[in-house]
Amino acid sequence: MNKPVLECTGIAAGYVKGLNILNGVDLVLNSGEIVSIIGPNGAGKSTLLKAIVGIIKINAGRFYLNGSDKTNTPTYKIIHEGLGYVPQVNNVFPSLSLQENLEMGNRKKMNKKNFDDVYELFPILKERNNEKAGNLSGGQRQMLALGRALISKPEILLLDEPSAGLSPSAVDEVFESIEEINTSGVSILIVEQNARRSLEISNRGYVLDQGRNAYSGLGKELLNDEKVIELYLGKM
Amino acid sequence: MLDQLGNGLLLGIIISVASVALSLLYGVTRIVNFAHGEIIALGAIMASFFSNLPTSRYIFLENTSPLGLSFELSLALSIMICGIFGALLELCVFRPLRRNDFGNIAVLVITIGISIFLRHLYLIFASSKPQDYPLDLQRRQQYFIFDLTPRDFKIIVYGILIMVIFGLFISFTSIGKQMRAVRDSTELANISGINSDRIILYTWILSSMLAGTAGIFQGMINDVRWNMGFLILLLVFAGTVLGGIGTSFGAMVGGFIIGIVVQVSVALPFMEGHAEAKNAIALAIMIFILLIRPQGIFGIKERIS
Repeated sequence: MNKPVLECTGIAAGYVKGLNILNGVDLVLNSGEIVSIIGPNGAGKSTLLKAIVGIIKINAGRFYLNGSDKTNTPTYKIIHEGLGYVPQVNNVFPSLSLQENLEMGNRKKMNKKNFDDVYELFPILKERNNEKAGNLSGGQRQMLALGRALISKPEILLLDEPSAGLSPSAVDEVFESIEEINTSGVSILIVEQNARRSLEISNRGYVLDQGRNAYSGLGKELLNDEKVIELYLGKM
Repeated sequence: MLDQLGNGLLLGIIISVASVALSLLYGVTRIVNFAHGEIIALGAIMASFFSNLPTSRYIFLENTSPLGLSFELSLALSIMICGIFGALLELCVFRPLRRNDFGNIAVLVITIGISIFLRHLYLIFASSKPQDYPLDLQRRQQYFIFDLTPRDFKIIVYGILIMVIFGLFISFTSIGKQMRAVRDSTELANISGINSDRIILYTWILSSMLAGTAGIFQGMINDVRWNMGFLILLLVFAGTVLGGIGTSFGAMVGGFIIGIVVQVSVALPFMEGHAEAKNAIALAIMIFILLIRPQGIFGIKERIS
């Protein structure tokens, strides 16, 4: 449980040269954990995930995967190292069928059992197998995106706002799926606006503010922390 | 009219093959490649250089004799050279531009520059005089309702075969599916573990090979000229846009429609004596269809979130 599988030290990164959104973020994800990253809009939560998977360049700091330095490794290579990433938007290939979308997830390790496992988790993907992904609803797209990331049996899963724009019932389904995926041994790092819901299922959490670590602690501790409640969660 | 319909089929097949190539490249790379015409011409010119006899009155590459290879071997070599040329364009020009985040307009202007440069390179090293392949003259025969030479008929059959093979490749092979995935989203393709740079390289190679093939077909039914690619490029763009830019099947159908309309319009009564204006009708029809259906015949409107 305590072996770090993903570690970030002093990460600085941004979209424009010379203008960092992240200013020295530290983070550890241990094996088998769910860790949430919460914080206000513009805190750099999604940017951190993009920096980890190599979509944007890390300008300072290091990122380690299972102890080996993977800073600024090309995205497709990081994915082959056992990391799955589900972006917040544009997370399916709309002109491809559901089956083809799943096939696109790390093709090297695929076998029929991987498909069966994903279909067991998300039966709708099997039912609508030959339909174009562009026809799916928001919740169904999220399931397909999760399925695509899971089909290669990643050790670590990064989720960017998995509940954004979903109906309350779809949100429930997605969070149940996340817990189920974690139970199968996948370590999960979630960026989520629905902070309360996310912390409820997390072992630990990090609060980012203006590109820096503001607070960190156990999920339940953060849920009950007066300052975190006042500044980031709001009173119930 | 039936004569023109036969010619239209022939031109339609050529434009279809070239349009599919252009559409594939645009779909995957988002590059509007104005140098596509020069890749079409490269196929025709290389086939002419390889196949003409060393003793022939051949005036391409004035200080170099043509090689006199068999026509079939010349075609294969020319198509391979087009593929290599496409790969070099990607590796030496477009990949570095992509790495430096050049905008679409800048890249478009660069393709226009490459087009002009290559066209005049052909003029310098070749000649302004049209050339022919060393092929026998053939008599027209009846094929179904069309009057065509056996060579014309072969071009139509091979053209259809190429497009069927391309369709199967893009629909069912792993690389074809990855090309469609990169077309949908390069970033998501990378996130899925696809090496999008490699897929874009394959796309350049495939697109250039198809363009070169279209050029060879064009050289077989007319002649080989330094500016032949430029002359056909507008029709290729029209076919691509009409079918729905970025969709291979649409480009296939769009190119076919444009080719047929261009040739058949020559037989219309009001076009008598104005054959040189034959492209106008095809382009007018393209504008009309796009007014009704802006995404093209087979372009699809999709949910974006």
